[in-house]
Amino acid sequence: MTWFAVRGASLAALVLCLTAIGGGASAQTDLSNAQIVQGLQNLTQDAPAVTAASLRQAALDRATMHSGPASQRPPLAIQLDKLAQINVQIQFKLNSAIILPESYATIGSVADALHNPVLLGYKFIITGNTDTTGTRQTNLKLSQERADAVMEALTTTFNVNPARLEAVGLGEEALLDSKNSENPINRRVQIFNVGPLR
Amino acid sequence: MKMHSWIAVAGALALASTSAQAQTMSYREAGALLAKSCGPDIRKYCGTVNLGSGKLIGCLDTNAGKVAAKCKTDFVAVKASLAKRAMAQQAIFKLCNADAARFCQGIVPGDGNLISCLVEASKAVSKPCNQTITDAGWR
Repeated sequence: MTWFAVRGASLAALVLCLTAIGGGASAQTDLSNAQIVQGLQNLTQDAPAVTAASLRQAALDRATMHSGPASQRPPLAIQLDKLAQINVQIQFKLNSAIILPESYATIGSVADALHNPVLLGYKFIITGNTDTTGTRQTNLKLSQERADAVMEALTTTFNVNPARLEAVGLGEEALLDSKNSENPINRRVQIFNVGPLR
Repeated sequence: MKMHSWIAVAGALALASTSAQAQTMSYREAGALLAKSCGPDIRKYCGTVNLGSGKLIGCLDTNAGKVAAKCKTDFVAVKASLAKRAMAQQAIFKLCNADAARFCQGIVPGDGNLISCLVEASKAVSKPCNQTITDAGWR
């Protein structure tokens, strides 16, 4: 299943979500290069300045300060909606940061977009996100390891300049569907454009 | 006889130019081919290594005698294509230096602008420059 939706025109944040349904080699990853590039190129005037360190701190603060049911927790202190971004579904081994083969093509698609000349001058943050199964601290750790694994694949196998990428584990602190916090849609990797390289 | 040899020469030239123009795999194609041809072998022999830092390809290399023949052929091709791409991306500023000076004056190097300019000018740039743009996957 592949779907994408354009959220409010002012935000112009193109969210692409791609689910590779288990089934080995037959899993489809029909996310076009143009769609990814467009999603990552939509810079807005009111996008907040985000660094990996500030984002990591915001996730940790939220995990330690706000308990209670997922649907009633306040949003992450950093507004990520306003950043140019894409969401991709990457399949990992259970409780592990090992990327499953059916997601290699998806990571390759992201690499193709990051190598596009129109995006070469920009930096990106890769975030890992879990659902609410497991403890919040475990989820922060696992999602960091997964984001690191995606970044490692992009910067080595797929030759993206490491100076352009940072990885942050958001755990369950930035749910896509907070009403249904165990919805698998929450388990995703996001790529955010965080501005010019220099 | 003369005509035949002409055809042979033309044929050889066409072949050479096709192979010279052949593109490297896109990263998506490379990932898809690895998964398609080697998915079962990766699960079997390399289930604990990740895609990055040469660990997966290294594991497939180590197990080259055990993996399916198709997997071996294809992961070797993927490895070669990825290496060729990386080299081309590295080589562009050297191979396209004269072309950049000629067609892309005043463009700040180091970001995508110069590459975009060279891609746009690629009909006019030198053959080695043009080829490295193709191999780098920038068209």
